[in-house]
Amino acid sequence: MSSNYVLEMENIDKSFNRVSVLKQAGIRLEKGEIHALLGENGAGKSTLMNILGGIFPADKGTIRVNGEQVEIVDPRTSQQLGISFIHQELNVVADLKVYENLFLGMERRNRFGLLKVEEMCRKTNEVLAELGVKIDPKAYVRQLDASYKQLIEIARALLQDSKIIIMDEPTTALTEHEVYRLFSLMKNLKAAKVSIIYISHKLKEIQEICDRYTVLRDGKVVGSGRMADQNLDAITKLMVGRSVSEERFIQQHEPGRKMLSVTGLTSPGLFRDINFTLHSGEILGFTGLAGDGRTELFESIFGFKKKPFGSIEVEGRSASINHPVQALQAGIGFVPKDRKENAIIKDLSVYHNMSISALSHFEQFGFLQPNLEKSRFHHFKETLNIKVHDPRVTIDKLSGGNQQKVVLAKWLEVDTPILVFDNPTQGIDIGAKREIYQMIVRLAEQGKAIIILSSEAPEILKVCHTIHVMYQGEITAKLKRDQATEDEIMKYATGSKREVEHIG
Amino acid sequence: MASPATQQESTEMSNRNRHLSWLWSEYSVIIAFVVIFVLASLLNPRFLDVNNQLNILMQVSIIGIVALGMTIVMLSGGIDLSVGSVLALVGVVSILSLNATGSILLAILTAFIVGAFAGLLNGLMVAKGRIASFIATLGMMAGARSIALYIADGGSISGEVSSFTVIANSELWIIDYPIIIFLVMTGLVYVLMQKTRFGRYVYAIGSNEKAALLSTIRVDRVKIGVYSLAGLLVSIAAIIETSRLNSISSSSSGQAYELDAIAAVIIGGTRMTGGRGKVLGTFFGVLILGILNNMMNLMNVSPHLQGFVKGLIIIVAVVFQKRE
Repeated sequence: MSSNYVLEMENIDKSFNRVSVLKQAGIRLEKGEIHALLGENGAGKSTLMNILGGIFPADKGTIRVNGEQVEIVDPRTSQQLGISFIHQELNVVADLKVYENLFLGMERRNRFGLLKVEEMCRKTNEVLAELGVKIDPKAYVRQLDASYKQLIEIARALLQDSKIIIMDEPTTALTEHEVYRLFSLMKNLKAAKVSIIYISHKLKEIQEICDRYTVLRDGKVVGSGRMADQNLDAITKLMVGRSVSEERFIQQHEPGRKMLSVTGLTSPGLFRDINFTLHSGEILGFTGLAGDGRTELFESIFGFKKKPFGSIEVEGRSASINHPVQALQAGIGFVPKDRKENAIIKDLSVYHNMSISALSHFEQFGFLQPNLEKSRFHHFKETLNIKVHDPRVTIDKLSGGNQQKVVLAKWLEVDTPILVFDNPTQGIDIGAKREIYQMIVRLAEQGKAIIILSSEAPEILKVCHTIHVMYQGEITAKLKRDQATEDEIMKYATGSKREVEHIG
Repeated sequence: MASPATQQESTEMSNRNRHLSWLWSEYSVIIAFVVIFVLASLLNPRFLDVNNQLNILMQVSIIGIVALGMTIVMLSGGIDLSVGSVLALVGVVSILSLNATGSILLAILTAFIVGAFAGLLNGLMVAKGRIASFIATLGMMAGARSIALYIADGGSISGEVSSFTVIANSELWIIDYPIIIFLVMTGLVYVLMQKTRFGRYVYAIGSNEKAALLSTIRVDRVKIGVYSLAGLLVSIAAIIETSRLNSISSSSSGQAYELDAIAAVIIGGTRMTGGRGKVLGTFFGVLILGILNNMMNLMNVSPHLQGFVKGLIIIVAVVFQKRE
């Protein structure tokens, strides 16, 4: 008798260069369920899913689809078995139209080999209607929101009649309401008996949407069961092997001297009339939904974007910043978001990524001194707990959390009195997140003035003294830490409420 | 479970494997060079003759110096198609200066100024004008050649100061000056790229320009420096080329040098999109091209077929380097 599992992966072993990544791992997926696959970075989630997606084979173990044992040798066989993999980075072609993306690689043609455009458009409309949305099939993908791009990938999966969809951190690039849209979509899929494997670090989301879970730690399955039977703390404990409490990290403090004050800062189309003041030892938070202009605001202050109108004063002196190097000279450091695109230089070694912004510290007689770089890195390796076997390897070989720590080390080496962190814990696991929060707080205690930008209100609440909420390029609220709650922040961030008083 | 002993053995094995693959990825061009060198010496006994060896070095020295500049440009993520034309223009103008002043020093100085200025223009177009390097230097390629042709009225011009030929036609012990200049330049560029801030910035920009800018690197200035330096290296090559026969042809000198230089850089393992590659790789890439030419000459292969072999080697080199 066949089981009611659409997918069973059992006793999967996999090692790279004789380093064992998966040990007897596996997952069982029921028909029409949303199954959370959880674990810290490096726990083996991606490896397990890549085996399922046919990216590389398992060393050992069995995979059954609908009760039948299968051999997945390449992505194509995986696809033929009805498995679709929606990667973290969206695989859509921005310069093609919606229907062209949907049918990419499986275009419908008539007997002369010409494309049947109208038929493909009709089919696109049908599939999109199934998902409960209406988009013009002939619109260009580059004009769509990120969530719609995701939708196209999901629609592609449906078009291929996929019965199993793997989603790897689908909500990282999405705003709150886009996330809701995705979730209702996932519920529709579930009703249509499609099974979803959902990989995410955001436990709240998982609790909301998932039916069951499997937790991996160090390549082994350490727990699985029904979501409803477990609370988040217990699951977190399973993931990290220890309990992470929800405490706030900061202590009360006496604000020091004025470090940065911004008045009437405006950049047409990006942000309007921004005013705030930052003191040494203080942690300011900026939050809001996507498109609120906070990233653009600080990229402008840092000299990366066009110079804004208004005044920026650093330690009482007016600063004119046209290039990031002038921001650095004025005393502002900036850890950008989207680490891969903006922060790491992937062909440089870990050492060289650490030193790149402060090379004058490592020079003697005009020549770089590798020994200085090495000893300096070992200092940061200790203080920031960077896990790297051989720092001569290129930085892309490190896990996300460790990459981020190297980026932090780079800015600590520059040692600016003001540090801006944009989404500092993006895509890194709970353990490393905690370490990064602690480090930021420690920096503030040492007298640095710190600004954190984040779309995650709980993160902001944990570490900031004062929270600025932005909505469409304006600061709509300035909340003290003890007044602020997630609900309150949400109201200002969605524009449904705003402070009347002028903030300054 | 494996016993401790076998486990230790296995980590040792994996270490060795890792070591081998590292050796291959870092030094594949040197391995290829050794293989080709050994093959060449087996195929023709005259190949190993000291004079022949020096001859090879002499023949590659001009392209070699140009390829050094090309390496820097390509590491920064760009390309410079104008090197051949600029070489002709520099040659023509420096001969004019030589004949007008009678001073070798002034001729050399003129060469440096013209070469660096052409490079500076390339750099400004790429960094400030935000023109793709392929397009900007394609324009320079056409423009510089045209000006050279105009000045020399389409033909060659010769120097009237015969001692100018000393530069390319003298020897230190048995080693010709151009070889020495090439080796010294290789050393200097190597140090520049590996041991100085400028070199580190070039790698960073070629790998991730946005992150480089956000790491407070003056991306524009570095790029302008990169192209100017490439122009300067071209002018050194131009001086040698001109000094060899004390004349330069505005139409044929430097013709297709950009292709040979790019070929040497690619064979040397530098990535087309920048950020990855080595000066020493280019050095051996240049030598490989030189040996191939030499071998085909020694074996009386038709000169018309030599391009075919060169093309084949470039493609094979890239195919091998793909496997990382």
